[in-house]
Amino acid sequence: MMLGELALAGLVALAFGVGSYYATGAFGAFGVVNVASGGLALAAAAVLALRGWRGFGSPDARRVLTPPLLGLCAALAGSVALERIADARDWRFDLTFERRYELAPAMHELLTSRGGDVRATLFCEQGDPRCRSTRILLETLASASGGRLAWEREELADEPESADRFGITTSNTVVLERGERFAKVERPSEGSLYEAIQRLVAEPAGFLYVARGEGEGDLRRTDDVGYSGFAAALETEGYRLRDLVLAATDEIPADASALLLLAPERELRADAFAALRRWLDGGGRLVVCLDPGQRSGIEALLAEWGLDVPDRLVVDPASGPVAGDPTGVNPIVHQFADHPVARGLGETRMVFFRGARPVIPARKPQADDDLRAVAFSSRRAWLAASGAVADGARPPERPADAAEDYQPLAATGRYPRVGSEARIVAFGDCDFAANRNLRGLYNQDLALNAVHWATDRTERITLRPKALPPHQFPLTPQETLRMLYGVGLLVPELLLVAGGLAWLRRRSG
Amino acid sequence: MIPLRALVRKELASLFGSPLAYLTLTGVALVTALIFFDHLRVYNQILFLYSSTSLGGFDADAIPDFVNLRDQVFLPVMETLGLTLIGLVPLVTMRVFAEERARQTDELLQTTLLSPTEIVLGKFAATFVFVALLLLASFVYPAASILRAGLGLEHLAAVYLGLFVLGLALASIGLACSALTASQLVAAVSAYAVAFVFYDFSWATTFTGETLGPLLDALSLHPRFGRFSEGVVRVADLVYFAGYAVVAFAVARLSLEQARVR
Repeated sequence: MMLGELALAGLVALAFGVGSYYATGAFGAFGVVNVASGGLALAAAAVLALRGWRGFGSPDARRVLTPPLLGLCAALAGSVALERIADARDWRFDLTFERRYELAPAMHELLTSRGGDVRATLFCEQGDPRCRSTRILLETLASASGGRLAWEREELADEPESADRFGITTSNTVVLERGERFAKVERPSEGSLYEAIQRLVAEPAGFLYVARGEGEGDLRRTDDVGYSGFAAALETEGYRLRDLVLAATDEIPADASALLLLAPERELRADAFAALRRWLDGGGRLVVCLDPGQRSGIEALLAEWGLDVPDRLVVDPASGPVAGDPTGVNPIVHQFADHPVARGLGETRMVFFRGARPVIPARKPQADDDLRAVAFSSRRAWLAASGAVADGARPPERPADAAEDYQPLAATGRYPRVGSEARIVAFGDCDFAANRNLRGLYNQDLALNAVHWATDRTERITLRPKALPPHQFPLTPQETLRMLYGVGLLVPELLLVAGGLAWLRRRSG
Repeated sequence: MIPLRALVRKELASLFGSPLAYLTLTGVALVTALIFFDHLRVYNQILFLYSSTSLGGFDADAIPDFVNLRDQVFLPVMETLGLTLIGLVPLVTMRVFAEERARQTDELLQTTLLSPTEIVLGKFAATFVFVALLLLASFVYPAASILRAGLGLEHLAAVYLGLFVLGLALASIGLACSALTASQLVAAVSAYAVAFVFYDFSWATTFTGETLGPLLDALSLHPRFGRFSEGVVRVADLVYFAGYAVVAFAVARLSLEQARVR
């Protein structure tokens, strides 16, 4: 048999063998026989080819053929060497619209300084297109981690035990393991992987007590107005959450890293206030948010610590309508003070509030105290009565005597005392951290960073990776068909006409 | 330089003098149009299903993230276009060297002022120009979708760069096969077979095990192209695809010199 025929037969057999593998997902007898016979035929063709080169043994032939042969070897070796160098350097450009493979600083910091010895396994079904972007994301993470994160891909069908062990129910699931602990991510994105790694590597950050019993925001409630998302985010950051019923306690527990007061609706007991005062005097840390129109007595406590929270509504005409509410009542904030709580936030990293009251650093209780407003409305904002938009219909109209100015919407206080330092972070709105709004803009970062600052974990203050919502634009089936028959088939039609004309001209010529 | 340019012109004229080039271009445009609109139709059906009143409508966040234009339409269409290139490019490359050899006009070509390197260069250049035209014919629909959905021109550029370098690699395989035979049929069939085998080496892990598997995986065309369609351009991938052209060029040149010696 001739060399060419043998090589051709070998290639075809190999291609059919491989084709059967792609069609069935496994090598059956047909596939194995084809691949084996194809491989043998190609090997035989290679031997024949080498023997054929003996015919070119004359000095003249060698002189002619040696340079291109060396050229072929150099091309092979050069290509492989260059590719390996480029691969090792991993020069890459992320041209996606949302730069989905450019890691956020928080992810870099997590991977390089805290995320050691993490193993990621991507479980995929064959042909799942979503796995490719996850694979690239994991490659990027592994590359950025400098060896601290390793990853591998497993076929879901081949790993039933792992699927059982980790509770995997769907393809494109990533399991992250560190020691005995693991975390499962079913919709992998930089943000979800960040949170999972964070959960694995987070060191316990102490107890965060959450006040309950006076109509406060509920950290267990999972609907839009609940705060379960905030609770999950706090736990991801390492905090252990505990309830504290203020009506039934006379002392704030000594192991509290901070106390979280989410918009109490009813007046707190006098004993509760006394306990809070004693606790703050002893260096307690309080994170409090108050919605407009609520009176719980906390306003008076904050005033004792120099923070005024008048029961007014900040109306900021510079902020457009949000979530169907009138213009201005939901301030979109891009003015921040130079303060750890607002680190990284600014004109391109904004926060929005859902109806806010001002929080004004008014007077220092002691000379060494440090009161700072950290988030501001725009300069066009003014203060309306807190019930100004109770009907939710039209934006409130500014009275002639209402002054326009920057309105502080959140403030912090540091109160150094002998042997301790109390801290307070106060927000003029609580809904910004509710489930419906937490993931919007940079709300979650502001809320978490405030807790980190209050508990003196400023090294954990960061801006976390964000995921943009996918593009989902609808066309009716009729519109789709109209596009196909309107313009879709025009290009192939024109090309076919041109081809026909070329053929006719050639025949006649 | 002038003879080289003349050779490129002659190759392109010969290509467009036959209906094959137009049929190939039509094939790419038609396949892209049909696949694109079919994916768009299915995507819209899914979207309307999820957004139907019973599931809460558009405002109820009932539509899962994976139902989006990028994952449901754009990326699958680009994947299919890559596969379409495997089917169509060898039809163009099969005749480039094999036809000359069958008609024995290759000997005539070698009596011109052109060196073997220039001859090969000219034929490669003409073929690569045709690959670029192939992609141009397919450009309209993905461009429309990505612009309409606001996915960004940069991503589109990355995908088309990927398609172009994939097309170059497939054309290089086809040209190398064409240079090794006098039969256009053999050239086409062997180009199909080589391209198909190299497209994805994941099958080989069954035989090679976990040690050689990653090495072979690094040789696969498909995962490399996959990164481009995801919007990631790696220099290593560009070098990899360019490597096909360089090696095929060297093979074709060696084959030409070998024919001269015979």
